[in-house]
Amino acid sequence: MKEAVRLKLGNGAVLLLHEDHSNPSIAFRGSVRAGAAYGRPGIAEFTARLLLRGTKRRSAAKISDATEDLAAALAATNGMESVALEGRCTRETLKETLRIFIESLATPAFAPAELEKVRGEVTGDLRAQEDDTRRAATRRLLELVYPPSHPYHADPKGDARSAAKIQAKDARAFHAAHYGAAGMIVAFSGDLETETFRGLVAAAFERLDSGEPPNPVPTPKPSKPANAVIAMPHKSQADFVAGRVALARTHPDYQALNLATILFGRIGLYGRLGQKVRDDLGLAYYSFSSLEARLAGGHCLVSAGVNPKNLAQAVAAIRAEMERLRTEPFSDAEVRDGKTHLIGSLQVTLERNPENAAAIHDIEYYGLGNDYLERYPEIVRGLDPESVRKTGAEYYDPDASSWVASGPVKGVRLSF
Amino acid sequence: METITRTLDNGLTVLLRPMPEAPAVSVWVGYKVGSRNERPGITGATHWVEHMLFKGGGKLKKGDIDSIVGRLGGKFNGFTDTDFTIYFETLPPGDLDTGLMIEAERMRNAAFDPQESDAERGVIISEREGSENSPKYLLSEEMWHLAFHVHPYHWPVVGWKIDLERITRNDLYTYYLQHYAPNNAVLVLAGKFEPEDAMRRVESYFGLFRPETQPPPLAVTEPAQEGERRGEVRRPGTQDHVMIGYHVPALAHADTAPLLVLQAVLGGWRGLSLFGGGFVPRSNRLYRGLVDKKLATDVSAQHRMQADPGLFTIEATVREGVDPAKVETAALEEVEGLRRKPPTKEEMARAARQLRVWHAYDLDGPTAQGLLYTWFEVAASHTLLDDLIDRCQKVTTADVRRVADAYFDETNRTVCTFLAQEGGS
Repeated sequence: MKEAVRLKLGNGAVLLLHEDHSNPSIAFRGSVRAGAAYGRPGIAEFTARLLLRGTKRRSAAKISDATEDLAAALAATNGMESVALEGRCTRETLKETLRIFIESLATPAFAPAELEKVRGEVTGDLRAQEDDTRRAATRRLLELVYPPSHPYHADPKGDARSAAKIQAKDARAFHAAHYGAAGMIVAFSGDLETETFRGLVAAAFERLDSGEPPNPVPTPKPSKPANAVIAMPHKSQADFVAGRVALARTHPDYQALNLATILFGRIGLYGRLGQKVRDDLGLAYYSFSSLEARLAGGHCLVSAGVNPKNLAQAVAAIRAEMERLRTEPFSDAEVRDGKTHLIGSLQVTLERNPENAAAIHDIEYYGLGNDYLERYPEIVRGLDPESVRKTGAEYYDPDASSWVASGPVKGVRLSF
Repeated sequence: METITRTLDNGLTVLLRPMPEAPAVSVWVGYKVGSRNERPGITGATHWVEHMLFKGGGKLKKGDIDSIVGRLGGKFNGFTDTDFTIYFETLPPGDLDTGLMIEAERMRNAAFDPQESDAERGVIISEREGSENSPKYLLSEEMWHLAFHVHPYHWPVVGWKIDLERITRNDLYTYYLQHYAPNNAVLVLAGKFEPEDAMRRVESYFGLFRPETQPPPLAVTEPAQEGERRGEVRRPGTQDHVMIGYHVPALAHADTAPLLVLQAVLGGWRGLSLFGGGFVPRSNRLYRGLVDKKLATDVSAQHRMQADPGLFTIEATVREGVDPAKVETAALEEVEGLRRKPPTKEEMARAARQLRVWHAYDLDGPTAQGLLYTWFEVAASHTLLDDLIDRCQKVTTADVRRVADAYFDETNRTVCTFLAQEGGS
């Protein structure tokens, strides 16, 4: 994939383009730094959900009719640091799709009727999460991993109390403070000529006010490891998750930890973890590791879903695999396979417009350099196997991790 | 883009979708075997066989598929459905042979090591139990169980737990030998390759396999439903859910096009494939009638498009404090109201455009093309895929009204409700 065309507008917004005419469609992926970390509980979630639900000029119904009459699609999804902006359209519908999108970004209505619908959705989603073994365990774990004073500690959706209280004026004020073009990034991929991008697309985004540039989120300090059990006796399967604070995406050790995560519980059918817990012992349908690295910091997790009678055995097996990262670190052959996996998977991942747009967006978001994709194979090849082993052992250390189990766990003796 | 179609002497159907600019090649093999081919006692066997086919055999040792594809940075997976089983690898363009080799070994040489099949029992049961944790899964299982008395759509793809506890290695291996043969399969290549070169390679990997005598086609027809059926699942939970199903014809039937247009009018359209993304359609009758009126927090409609006559379903999550009966009534007003209030000209135009444009989104990339062409070929015919979207453009208001009249009738519907009980959180 060649370098993306990059435009920095006068209002601070950065636009990117990967031109590719192999499919007659355009996908875009963007972000605005208006995630949960920037406001009191729940407000970012409400604001993002209300963004495409009507403007000062057009009702929610008219906005959705106008979008869907074009067979276009738009979405705004709240995250911890930023709100993800997404869209799909064709070259024929690009102009009108952008008109709707920019109108929604600049002048959302925050109408009371829409707010009440969103209140029902958020409340419902929070209640669904409470009854979901995997989501409930992960949410609790993140509360243990990040200290209460850090913005990553709380649920980005807020809680039942915040969902009950948020008013339109709160969302309006949050929007005014955080939805400026400064810090906004939008990447396009697909059937779009550079000339149109530099002209029509840039002109559409130039209409946005600059606003204030986003403040950085503080780096999280790790909490003391802790354990929790969430009893849900009515469920069939138990879930458990272990994890700790890890690294920011821009940290020098990120690439090494990413490769360690791949080898530990992702490559093939979930790496070493999958091999042991699923393949050898037949204890779980899934068991994997994951790394979430954001601008300010991140966390790494190990997750598994198992029959409650196998829970203690699965916990012990996963703990043993974590310890094995120290006693039997990744071999040179494992590291070599992981490197070829990373290089090959980059190529395979970039087969669709939404993934291409997401990749060039992320490169800009994390400041990796416009030639990052070109440099990536060399970055991976140059990784020191020792650093992969060291970061793996450090960040998947069972004694430095917090542990949470959920589901029909009453009476199960757990030794975290 | 044209689809190049070939058939090997042993009956293997090969579809080629060359995409010279693509950064990958996607290798798909679909087998015309799904849970519809099982019998009571071995429900879940198709899905279990799928799991076993990642465990090596022939040139592949256990773990080789994961490590070979993983090393190359490829994507791979398998899916079992009521009507088919599908496997794929998406790989860098120079690695077509790897995908073909894996699929050839999978077709005829799987090991079915008894120890492995026993170990997999725990994994399969764990997968089923993970699904049981979800109220929506339980509701869906109840729906199909109730709507089909005779046809194998009666049981879930993952199988009943009692069968999963008893199925033997020999049950699985016999099932595999019977159904995994070139004359019961389709191979689809999408992405960067040269067609004639690819065909030579396909011939070298698959050409020597012998065809197998296939069991006679499934001769089970679900009798017409003669009255509403109702089911309830009462379990601890935090949200109520409503699901409504109507019997509709098979994918290959001429009414599929009007039913898809009807689906778009009723519940919006987000494409045929799994790659629709997180976009919520709001300009449709169900959203306006249920979510806008604060009765539900989400709602969807779907024609399941199966090999045999299946279901058109509507699903809604009940908003907190709302009586599920009200949601059901509102949904029925919208669905069956189509008979009294047929789609407007604007609704028809929107539906037709969405079906056409989302088809382009659906075909973005080799993996997406491989999935759609394999699915349609094993469930009906790949020619139906492009033809179906063209046919949808010609559907009239009268056609939509006719199918609404024909299928959205009280005597043909099944209504299931998940009623969340205390203790769910």
